[in-house]
Amino acid sequence: MSEKRHGPGGPGPRPGGRPGGPMGARLNAEKPKNTKRTLFRLARYIGKSGWVLVGLLAIMLVVTLVEILNPFFQQKAIDTITLVDGKLAVDLRAMVGYLAAIGGTFVFSATLSYFQGLLAAKLSQTTVYTMRNELFSKISRLPISYTDTHRHGDIMSRMTNDIENVSNAVSQSIATLFSAVLTLIGALTMMLYYSPLLTAVAITIIPMTLLVSSVLAKFMRKYFVAQQRILGRLNSNVEESVTGYKTVVAYGKEADAIASFAENAQELRTTSIKARVWGSIMGPIMNFLGNFHYVLLAALGGYMVLSGRGGITVGSIQAMLQYSKKFSQPINMIANQYSTILTALAGAERIFEIMDSANEVDTGRSDIRVEDIRGDITFENLQFGYVPGEPVLKGFDLEVKAGQKIAIVGATGSGKTTVVNLLTRFYELDGGRITIDGVDITEIPKDTLRHAIAIVLQDTVLFSDTIGANIRYGRDNATDESVRAAAHTAMADVFIDRLPEGYETRLTESGSNLSEGQRQLLSISRAVLADPKILILDEATSSVDTRTELRLQQAMNNLMKGRTSLIIAHRLSTIRDADKIVVVSDGRIVEVGSHDELLAKGGQYSKLYSSQFAGVAI
Amino acid sequence: MKKLFRYILPYKWLALVSPLMMMGEVACDLCLPYLMSYIVNFGILGMDVFSPTEGSPMAARLVGLFLGEDYTGMQLILLFGILMISLTLVGGFFGTMCAYTAARAAQSFGRDLRVDVFKKVMSLSIEQTDRFTTGSLVTRMTNDITMIVDFMEMLMRMFVRAPMFLIGGTIMLLSLEPKFGLVLLCSIPVLLLVMVLVLKKAVPLFSIVQTRLDRVNSVVQENVSGARVVKAYVREEHECGRFRNANGELRDVNLRVLRLMAIINPVMMIVMNVTVIVVMYLGGVNIAFGDASMNTGSIMASITYVSMVLNSVLMVTGMFGAISRASASAKRVVEVMGEEPVILGGEGATEQGDIAVSFKNVSFRYPGTVGRPVLSGIDLDIKKGETLAIIGATGSGKSSLVAMIPRFYDAIEGEVFVNGAPVKDYPLADLRAKIGYVMQKTVLFSDTIAGNIRWGDPDASDKAVRAAAAAAQATEFIDGFAEGFDTFVAEKGASLSGGQKQRTSVARALVRKPEILILDDSTSALDLATEGKLRAELAKMTGDTTVIIIAQRIASVMTADRIAVLENDGTIVHCAPHEELLKISETYRDICDSQIRSGALVRKEDGEDE
Repeated sequence: MSEKRHGPGGPGPRPGGRPGGPMGARLNAEKPKNTKRTLFRLARYIGKSGWVLVGLLAIMLVVTLVEILNPFFQQKAIDTITLVDGKLAVDLRAMVGYLAAIGGTFVFSATLSYFQGLLAAKLSQTTVYTMRNELFSKISRLPISYTDTHRHGDIMSRMTNDIENVSNAVSQSIATLFSAVLTLIGALTMMLYYSPLLTAVAITIIPMTLLVSSVLAKFMRKYFVAQQRILGRLNSNVEESVTGYKTVVAYGKEADAIASFAENAQELRTTSIKARVWGSIMGPIMNFLGNFHYVLLAALGGYMVLSGRGGITVGSIQAMLQYSKKFSQPINMIANQYSTILTALAGAERIFEIMDSANEVDTGRSDIRVEDIRGDITFENLQFGYVPGEPVLKGFDLEVKAGQKIAIVGATGSGKTTVVNLLTRFYELDGGRITIDGVDITEIPKDTLRHAIAIVLQDTVLFSDTIGANIRYGRDNATDESVRAAAHTAMADVFIDRLPEGYETRLTESGSNLSEGQRQLLSISRAVLADPKILILDEATSSVDTRTELRLQQAMNNLMKGRTSLIIAHRLSTIRDADKIVVVSDGRIVEVGSHDELLAKGGQYSKLYSSQFAGVAI
Repeated sequence: MKKLFRYILPYKWLALVSPLMMMGEVACDLCLPYLMSYIVNFGILGMDVFSPTEGSPMAARLVGLFLGEDYTGMQLILLFGILMISLTLVGGFFGTMCAYTAARAAQSFGRDLRVDVFKKVMSLSIEQTDRFTTGSLVTRMTNDITMIVDFMEMLMRMFVRAPMFLIGGTIMLLSLEPKFGLVLLCSIPVLLLVMVLVLKKAVPLFSIVQTRLDRVNSVVQENVSGARVVKAYVREEHECGRFRNANGELRDVNLRVLRLMAIINPVMMIVMNVTVIVVMYLGGVNIAFGDASMNTGSIMASITYVSMVLNSVLMVTGMFGAISRASASAKRVVEVMGEEPVILGGEGATEQGDIAVSFKNVSFRYPGTVGRPVLSGIDLDIKKGETLAIIGATGSGKSSLVAMIPRFYDAIEGEVFVNGAPVKDYPLADLRAKIGYVMQKTVLFSDTIAGNIRWGDPDASDKAVRAAAAAAQATEFIDGFAEGFDTFVAEKGASLSGGQKQRTSVARALVRKPEILILDDSTSALDLATEGKLRAELAKMTGDTTVIIIAQRIASVMTADRIAVLENDGTIVHCAPHEELLKISETYRDICDSQIRSGALVRKEDGEDE
């Protein structure tokens, strides 16, 4: 690993990277910035399963209507009990009729509500499935500079947490909101029917509820945000101490780690208690508001009946009171959904943020075919910097003939890996040009260009699949024999054959069950099988011991006949037989020549060389 | 689960008060339907409170107390209204107090548990943290504990509330009409049965959902961190296909769960309403047969209680899900709590002689593995002030050898000595304080660069920190940062390059002025010139320090006083200076050849090593 990591080799410096823990970034964005636009775009995704949505809403309309009419029928059934001659009597026949009606409608609406559940599941899962797929294929089309400059954890959390939040909102909030609004309208209509005046009084609960809940929500949010932040800090505290446990132990820092953890745990406790208490106050207050209105309506209604104003009957006040209870429920439901929806919208916004990022550009129009590429490469006056104003390459010129083996050496941070990034067009040049067989690489379609090149990086990338499949990554249709042959060339067959399941061995979590050296040999097998015109080895054998490396090199020499290869290495022993050794310093080429020529010259290369082999008798 | 309950003991009063408060709240809630029916019956419908048939003794007492015999409907409404609001307020007070006490008890419990588990983990031996794997330890200490704390809080609140409603509602219902209780006796089992059946099918699916979600995540993770390779091999389409598969499988299992859950709502609706219908019918029949105690008000109240009881049944079954999840978490946490460190420090060591580190017939195998030991029969003495290098192929056991010095692991055979005393005699902290250990995998912590270097010696002066950084060749890049030594190292050092991290951790070991300095392949990310300078500085600085260097490059080891060559079978055959090794050790000559004489013949015996 070298200072090239400072460049795009890994999670190096992040232009525009946000300070603070991962939670900090997420919570700052908790409020959606452009609600209307996000809502509209989200609606498009939901709209894709249009008929499901329509069916869902239609069923909910019926189910809610049945709910609203329920007190009405119950009342009718109870009204069959009457006071006759000072004694209670009941019209059983009429009552059974009403009860049958209630039973019938409920069996009907229960059946419907089962389908409602099925449709809601389908709607939310389809929406999330589509969004995930689109987000993933978007991520695969983003330029490398995006993954280099954004926290991987952040991208992951959009794929998981944010999509999960959107899913919750789609499956719950839409249904809840719709049914709440319907209930509200239904109850309101019934109440208006009974008494407009009392309805006007009843309606005052809406602004009161909204006012109270928005004030409370402000406090709740404050403490919940703080709670999340501290929890995030606590978690990273744990992660750091556990993953760096050997270091903690080696330096006897256990007590310090415990002390700082205990401090965070205490803070979490204090904040959590506050958050919980504020959170639990909402219920009682809403309860109070609801009951207060109930009494208000009863008192007002009673006064109207007793004073004979407003032409209101006893029965209708009773019904009013029933409906006023139905009325306050949906308001609570809407208030409860508020935060779910806000979270989901904020999540959706973060998802769309990725979707809106620019794709990797591909201007290649040339109809050159991979098979026809010979492998002449020229670098002409390359100018490049990852961050504006901090150039990494300042006029890099190099000509490579097809079939040559070129080694690039230089101090850390001199720009060796950058050349590779530019040749594969992971990054675009700021100035100058690169040609392959005389064709500017911006003219070559990226797929063609990359098919012609195979790169092996120091940080190996393996996928959780079998060893065979990982080697086949470069060429899907390769036969078993050619996979074996490639592994043999890369010296990987020795350890693969020793594994109980050989090429069928499944790699866990990106190959964590292999040693770093074995991983590097697998990556090389992959490149060998890809059969490229141009091979790039970027510190590809840094973890392989030197004797294996030497034998590997011999095997590779045969393979590389007739192909162009670029090799970046720290160990000078690996590059001595290169056709050309290029010494890079400060973004420019300072020396070019064969090993012997450069040694004789007594410049930078010979200095590097003697520092490595100082005092060794050759 | 039980083992964790002792953590609640210090807060037992809070934990007991909380359910009491909840009972108060539930009691208030249970009274409210009564008061509402009084308002309707006596205030609005104008029934006579004091009438023996249609009145209510409780309401009559209240009215008699506050209003007397001559009350108006309006007064009655206001009286019961005020009572209702007061009761709501009292109930709200109880509810909030319950929330407060429960939160206080559960969060304090959580804090103590967290700190204790963390302490426990910090006391474990390396082999135990290896066995748990760091990822799983982190999950146990974060998600699992949070799950348990949330469960505790719920236990104090919801687990009281639901049974209270269940019992209270049933009592109220029975007091109205025993027959209604029979109805409930029929409908509760039906509801329970359906819930249990659904949960039984759904719970195994939950874990499948988790596995499939993990798979989706791992595909994303691989693609984000391996974006270069995906693009280089033009595999975007292939990866999208892989993701679509994983995503589709996740969707399918999610749908299965949701379809199962969709049964609960309608069943609840039907059971609830059938119960209500039966209650009404029975009430009607009673009245038809002239039962004087049955009237409209009591039927209405019964319906309210029936729905209360059935809702709480639903809540109770929902809790079983929570219990099973929390107990799984508790099991994982208790597993960690149950570990005792296997490597314990000694009482005190008597140091003697001038041998800094000595291995006597040491064999080693990683705990929990079988087969050929990694190291066998190692005999090696390292004198004070000596610089010893260890070289050997990947996987030959170089790191394992030095890891036994600070007792990260213990030998399975033989003994390791430091300063002439067995390492097992030293208290662990004393032993490790003697050693500056720079690991292969550099770890930095979220602190400033100076703070990270001071890990080696918390009392180091600015000058000493600067000197250590200079020797480690780190000043150049540190001074390049706008804030120099005060630059904050974010995200475990991800903001630094590999070489920068290595140099910082070398400085951290140097500032300690250790008796024994161990460099485990810790300059691999440095270019040759920088490494050369670092080696020269080390030679100057570490006069009486014993230095042990593990390296791949001959150049890094050849200046050492002696070089131990670790063979592939985990033995040391030769340990001598460079020149002598060239003569006597074939393995060493091989390594030199491979690095220096690139033209040398490649040995034909493939497979003799790896």
